[in-house]
Amino acid sequence: MKTVFSYVKPYKWPAIIALILMLIELFVELAQPLIMAKIVDNGIIAQDGQAIWYWGLVMFGLSVLALTVGIINSYFASHAAQSFSYDLRNALFSKIQSFTMATYLRFPTSSLITRLTSDITQVQNVFFMSLRIMLRAPLAVIGSMVMAFIVNAKLALFLMIGAPILVIFLAIMVKRGVTYFSEVQGRLDRVNRVLQESLQAMRLVKAYMRGQYEASRFNGVAEALKIDTVKALRTMELIMPVLLLVMNLSLLAVLWFGAYEVNNNDTQIGDLIAIVNYAMRMTGAFSMFAFIIIAFARAKASAERMEEILIIEDGLEIRTRQAEEFTEAELGTVYFDNVSFAYNGELNVLHNVSFDVRQGEKLAIMGATGAGKSTLLNLIPRFYETTSGRVFVNGRDVKEWDLDDLRAMIGFVPQQSLLFTGSILENVGWGKTDANLTEVEAAATKAQIHESVESFPKAYETRVGQKGVNLSGGQKQRLSIARALIRKSQILILDDSTSALDVKTEAALWDALEEERATMLVVTQKIRTARGADRILLLDAGRVVGFGSHDELLQTSELYKKIAQSQQEQGDEL
Amino acid sequence: MKFLDKPFGYERVLTKEDLQQVTKKKKGPRANDWKSTLVRIWKIVDEQRFLLVMVLVMVVISSALALVGPFLIGQMIDNYIVPGDFDGMLLMIGLLIAIYVVLALSLYLQNYWMIGIAQQTIYRMRVGVFNKLLHLPISFFDKRQHGELMSRATNDIETVSATLNSAFIQVFSSVLTLTGTVIVMLYLSPLLTFLTMIIIPAMFIAMRFITRRTGKLFKEQQAAVGALNGMIEETISGQRIVKAFSQEERVKEEFREKSARLRLVGFWALAYSGYIPKVMNALNNVSFAIVAAVGGLLALNGQASIGVIVIFTEYARQFTRPLNDLANQFNTVLSAIAGAERVFAIMDEANEVETGHIEKDRQLNGAVAFQNVSFKYEQTEAEHTLNNVSFSVQPGQTAALVGATGAGKTTIMQLISRFYDTNEGAVLFDGIDVRDFTREALRSQMAFVLQEPFLFEATVYENIRYGRLDATDEEIEEAARKANAHDFIMKLPQGYNTLLTADGSEISQGQKQLLSIARAFVADPVILLLDEATSSIDTVTEMKIQEALEVLMEGRTSFVIAHRLNTIRNADVVFVMQQGELVESGSQEELIAKNGVYASMVG
Repeated sequence: MKTVFSYVKPYKWPAIIALILMLIELFVELAQPLIMAKIVDNGIIAQDGQAIWYWGLVMFGLSVLALTVGIINSYFASHAAQSFSYDLRNALFSKIQSFTMATYLRFPTSSLITRLTSDITQVQNVFFMSLRIMLRAPLAVIGSMVMAFIVNAKLALFLMIGAPILVIFLAIMVKRGVTYFSEVQGRLDRVNRVLQESLQAMRLVKAYMRGQYEASRFNGVAEALKIDTVKALRTMELIMPVLLLVMNLSLLAVLWFGAYEVNNNDTQIGDLIAIVNYAMRMTGAFSMFAFIIIAFARAKASAERMEEILIIEDGLEIRTRQAEEFTEAELGTVYFDNVSFAYNGELNVLHNVSFDVRQGEKLAIMGATGAGKSTLLNLIPRFYETTSGRVFVNGRDVKEWDLDDLRAMIGFVPQQSLLFTGSILENVGWGKTDANLTEVEAAATKAQIHESVESFPKAYETRVGQKGVNLSGGQKQRLSIARALIRKSQILILDDSTSALDVKTEAALWDALEEERATMLVVTQKIRTARGADRILLLDAGRVVGFGSHDELLQTSELYKKIAQSQQEQGDEL
Repeated sequence: MKFLDKPFGYERVLTKEDLQQVTKKKKGPRANDWKSTLVRIWKIVDEQRFLLVMVLVMVVISSALALVGPFLIGQMIDNYIVPGDFDGMLLMIGLLIAIYVVLALSLYLQNYWMIGIAQQTIYRMRVGVFNKLLHLPISFFDKRQHGELMSRATNDIETVSATLNSAFIQVFSSVLTLTGTVIVMLYLSPLLTFLTMIIIPAMFIAMRFITRRTGKLFKEQQAAVGALNGMIEETISGQRIVKAFSQEERVKEEFREKSARLRLVGFWALAYSGYIPKVMNALNNVSFAIVAAVGGLLALNGQASIGVIVIFTEYARQFTRPLNDLANQFNTVLSAIAGAERVFAIMDEANEVETGHIEKDRQLNGAVAFQNVSFKYEQTEAEHTLNNVSFSVQPGQTAALVGATGAGKTTIMQLISRFYDTNEGAVLFDGIDVRDFTREALRSQMAFVLQEPFLFEATVYENIRYGRLDATDEEIEEAARKANAHDFIMKLPQGYNTLLTADGSEISQGQKQLLSIARAFVADPVILLLDEATSSIDTVTEMKIQEALEVLMEGRTSFVIAHRLNTIRNADVVFVMQQGELVESGSQEELIAKNGVYASMVG
């Protein structure tokens, strides 16, 4: 709550002004009945036309004041609430951006989405309401209570009989409410999750006609959300009737003892009536009061969920290590020194991997499915930190590199060519913030995609749908390669990113890449690609089982021979 | 003046045209008409009429008891406390306790049931949207961001939820109180009642002024939330790219822009909606002033008794309270309408057309033919993705599709599985137009391994079982063995019961492909479609599953896209695609003998 609340601070003044305006309005509102009484007493009853006019004007003036103040308040309150949530949202998003890849595994995308939208809305609404109307109910209750004590403290005390029970009751309810609403938001996460999954898998769902199956899956999470929401709301709805009942029973107690007092002439009947009146005013404010408590509990649950993100200190990417001057003598080199790695303390995926890549060298990485090839590549731009051992880029431990500098040296083409919604120009230019069309075209030409793009009606302005759905697999791969090439990095990492290309296109691509003079690490399944590499790193179950040129490995490695054989048997490729 | 024009630096979002447009746009029962939106929500609510009636009964009871309580207390003071009659008082207190208990109970019950009704409605809407999504054509999803669609089933529906919980009871009890008050007022003085009513037209005008703005703004706000959601979903799903290219700052900037848009429209929506209670209050005061002034004059002229006027002003004050409540509710109702409109907009999208009448039990033989098929994804595209393609494949044959990337291979697969319909020409199964089959009939006899393998957040068992829901565990393990996935599955922490995640890293891309091949094994189809099914699998493993694949393909019609010759070596017929045209077809021997495109590709 505290961390989230600190985002109110910059808008302290608009918030305070809004509160003051609200108090003015409240004051005017309270004055109105008095003026009405004046109009009635001094005007109508006294049959004094002038008094009616006089007090009528005063009331008119006050009304105009209340209207003006109220409307100004709505601007200040709106500004404070919106800006608060804007800042909070941005802070959350920034925090999420600084997560390490390992931290992302802890929070599913869907849960982060809920926190960034639904949870923020909950908190923002309560904040806005508190600047507009919320204080009224508590003020009405407290004000009435104070007035009751002033009129007759002894009788007023009876009004308080239920207070201790109520305080305990409310405390319990708020605590429960926070737990329940937190569950509700968690359920919303699940709904988001299933939705996201079904959308991502829409083709598969349709292909296997699993509409009903998906529907029942969604039904399940939606129903769980319904049940939990109903449970939370129903529990919280207890508050109002209980408050009302306790208050009304206290009122009866006041009447009972008041009657004795009056009978004994200890109390004026007028006092008793006044206290009864104040008590009724308090009950009038109760439904609002209960509403506030419910909203508060809900907002608190949401605020806690956001704080879970905001307070993360471990598992963030540390961008800069040492600022010390460093002479980059070993440009474009990569060196793995006895690296072992496991995801989240599970079994090791890599075991004592050591190898080096020289400047301008092309290293092919081969191995069976699940041998750890992608994992190995992920360690170079420090998506994950090694479990033991060290990775060096340009002669320096990746942990000592400034992350931006490190990643600026690397052109990364992932296995799945993820594109973003936007034009082709934007997608290719994504790799370099200030890329112009010429650069984009040059990169696309090298990636062998320029001609295809030119053949589209809108060429580089062609819109790419989410994840590039309207492009063929090979086109996506080449765009993803172009995106990496535009950075002119010293080190190029290609994670089996040419699998959907035909032989001719691929050959042309490799030729174009040769000209880049970049150090290349290439995961491939193809012996033909490996043969074109300077050296080949052969992985098996996370261990290096061969390291050398094609010819060397043919001599020394049984596994490599087997792979080569498998492809000879299979013949060539298309 | 500058502040008024741009408060706190917030640009105005509504243009004059915007405001005029809203007034003009009144025709048509489309989803963007708020009345029809309300009616649609109401129809779902109304399905629970019994509970609804119960809620109404409880509202009547609680409203009545809320009035009786104070009345009885007044009676008690006058009749028992002042005279000091304690026995009578005891009786009254007993009565009051009973009343208060019943009051609390009726309050609780009305909320209890209403929450049930509201959440059931929300649930129905949510499930409705989801089911709708499942029935939309693939082309619908090509253009939209996942996150944006997700926002409709969550954020937009939540606005409806927030409103339904409270609005209904509020509106009903307000109407109830209002009616009661008006009756008493009419009884006291029809003339003054009429005068009180004068403000109602003014109220309408004011409400129109405000809602014309807020209605549009709330819609903009929900759209901004949707856009933000779309961006978040995409960015976080593609986080690896963001990191690889060190584009965190750029992404944050983009987020801030979208976030600022939400703040901007949100600011105006909140600010304008804040007008409502204030304006209502002011109008109430005006009404009171009118009543007091006219009443005073009447009293001066002796046309009305002072007592009546005093009581009347009291009632006039009560008259406005429920009106205020209604006005306040109106605002949240508007935001709910904005959300609901976006939900219904999805509901109104055209379904995937189901033209077929041939049902599931029609067993396919597996003959597939294309007859002069031309196709393009977007009508606006100049060139066809497929141009006048004709071929036929006999039952049990394996057909290989080869050609450069973008030649139209995957498109052919998409047409066979009828994700899209042809623009010209026809796709035939057993000589029957594909459009005559229901999709269910067609796809239940096909199995797919798509270009990008996808895993659900579910166990390995469940992921493979997706191919055929009634497959036993043994059958699944058998399929996994054939797909060469068994070994690595057994190495997973809980074997076949390991929970996989879509974005988890515990499974490599190649292993995902193995699992989706196992899925196809389990499906046991007549027609098999393999689109780059083994592209991420190493060749040694591929060799191992090749045999199994051949067994699988035996007796089934198969379409295979692959770049490795081996994968297609056993193809009975090869189709060579070039820029959307079928340039060569025939058996491999024939094609090589022909010494054309295929021969040059292989050579």
